[in-house]
Amino acid sequence: MFWVFLLVLLLTRPPTPVIVSLGPPQTVYSEHPIVGVHTRLTDEVEEWKIKRSLQMVRQMGAGWIVEFFPWAYYHAVDGGIAWGRPDMIIGHAHTQGLQVIARIGLTPEWARPSDTPLTYLDETAYDDFAEFAARFAERYHGRVSHMIIGNEPNLSYEWGYRLTTPDDYASLLEVVYPAIKAANPNMVVLAGALAPTLEPAGSPWGLNDLEYLAQLYEAGAADYFDGLAVHAYGLTFPATADPAPDILNFRRVELVRQVMEEYGDADTKIYITETGWNDHPRWTMAVRPALRIQYTLDAFAYAEENWPYVEMMALWVLRFPAPTRSFMDYYTLVTPEFVTKPIYTAVQEYTGN
Amino acid sequence: MALVWVALLLAACRGQEDAWQRVQETGVLKVGLDPTYPPFEAADANGVFGLDVDLANALAVDLGVQTEFVLFGYDGLYDALATGQVDVLISALVVAPERTKDFAYSTPYFNAGEILIVRQDEENIVRMEDLHGRTLAVELGALGHVEATSWAKRLPTLTIVPYQTADEALTAVTNHEADAALVDAISGRLFLRQTDGLKRTAVPITVEPFAIVTRIADRQLLEQINRSLTALENNGQLDEITQQWLGK
Repeated sequence: MFWVFLLVLLLTRPPTPVIVSLGPPQTVYSEHPIVGVHTRLTDEVEEWKIKRSLQMVRQMGAGWIVEFFPWAYYHAVDGGIAWGRPDMIIGHAHTQGLQVIARIGLTPEWARPSDTPLTYLDETAYDDFAEFAARFAERYHGRVSHMIIGNEPNLSYEWGYRLTTPDDYASLLEVVYPAIKAANPNMVVLAGALAPTLEPAGSPWGLNDLEYLAQLYEAGAADYFDGLAVHAYGLTFPATADPAPDILNFRRVELVRQVMEEYGDADTKIYITETGWNDHPRWTMAVRPALRIQYTLDAFAYAEENWPYVEMMALWVLRFPAPTRSFMDYYTLVTPEFVTKPIYTAVQEYTGN
Repeated sequence: MALVWVALLLAACRGQEDAWQRVQETGVLKVGLDPTYPPFEAADANGVFGLDVDLANALAVDLGVQTEFVLFGYDGLYDALATGQVDVLISALVVAPERTKDFAYSTPYFNAGEILIVRQDEENIVRMEDLHGRTLAVELGALGHVEATSWAKRLPTLTIVPYQTADEALTAVTNHEADAALVDAISGRLFLRQTDGLKRTAVPITVEPFAIVTRIADRQLLEQINRSLTALENNGQLDEITQQWLGK
């Protein structure tokens, strides 16, 4: 009977938790400091995988990460903020010597009307969002250097399935920017990140990024951001393909820059917080894996040589916690099982690691 | 009033009925596909064609119904099935365990995983373990390259040579620059169809199963499809269709 009891006890006891320590502080070695990568650690459950991911970022020679910290996940209606997850992610990133660009967004249920999606944020909640942003900026002083306010506000999907209006986003920046600066004057506040799109005015899906940016300046937003985040996907075009207003390719960044200069904002830096090529075997916007590698390295070289106004470029995306079984898997540099893809190795060699 | 209730009840029951009932009633199997993936599916002015199209038609004959092909973009396929726009998806779709809450997969009809291709006279390379001291050609950056890199940790004497395309990797075997090539089954078989002197080894190296997809609730339809697939496999028709589009 004793043995049966012992067996039951052994079989039913919870597994011993894995203890993960931060480890000693590390530094990133890179011959190309422009190189960064977007991580998806918010979706990652296990701490050791978060640590491993960030080690791999460092070992690849990327000095920057862009990571998403959803407001909706942390901020309770009573004002309490669950800092555990961001503390863990930012702690590991800091230990690995990585510069963190934190993207914040997604509205808690209590801060938006019922039956609205997570991306819905209207002016009634701007102050609440600003409070969260300020507390985030204050808490991570010295560990998070940049914050992006929202994501792709020129797409209706990212704007609560409403018509996207630069005026609204300008108003949001006007509330959030001073709150962050008051909490942490060193925080670099990024607007955007604008999604590359050709959608015309009045489209239910979004608004052309160039037009949106011009209207953002018209709305007086220039005083409320320190840098502009943009997304620059190459799709099927080589990295060096000429830009044109009616084409979405990597060098569309130059057209974005033109708008900034036209509005007298040439001193403001651009941060490419998502970029890359896809090598899915059948997605029509993908290229072969060898071309993906070549275009990616060409893009870094081109940006370094020609775009002094670009501070960093983050490849979308290091890794997903689990396969998506879609074309998105073919943007990754590392498999969910932490097997490196040749593009990871190519970037690693490029940075001199 | 009672009649209204009966009508509503019947309508509700109808909403839950297995798609197989409707397929039988209408005599039409609605097949969703994305016609941008030759040789599995493509389209021209005359309509859709490819391995999956032939397979769908063969299944329909066995089921005693007719096919109606409905075209979607790759990313819209599952939504089209979920919203009842089609009965099945036959579009070179890989079994995705994450989707099995909402969808069911048939018995796989093709393995698109990585295969080893060697010269016709090569008798000593059958599986990856046989590549000690050998040179392996791969497509740079492709899944075969990733798989080969993993194997290189176990086989330190293995030399991996990446080429820009799968065809170039396979040509390297023909030219004796490499002893074998590790490529996906589709690229490999298409190359073998037009090139003499090479063969694929019997054992696939990785598994990437293509299967037919139904809604999870349509159990009878899935059973019928699996039964038909088995019949096509047993009578050699599945092999015939596969060989017609991909070679032996």
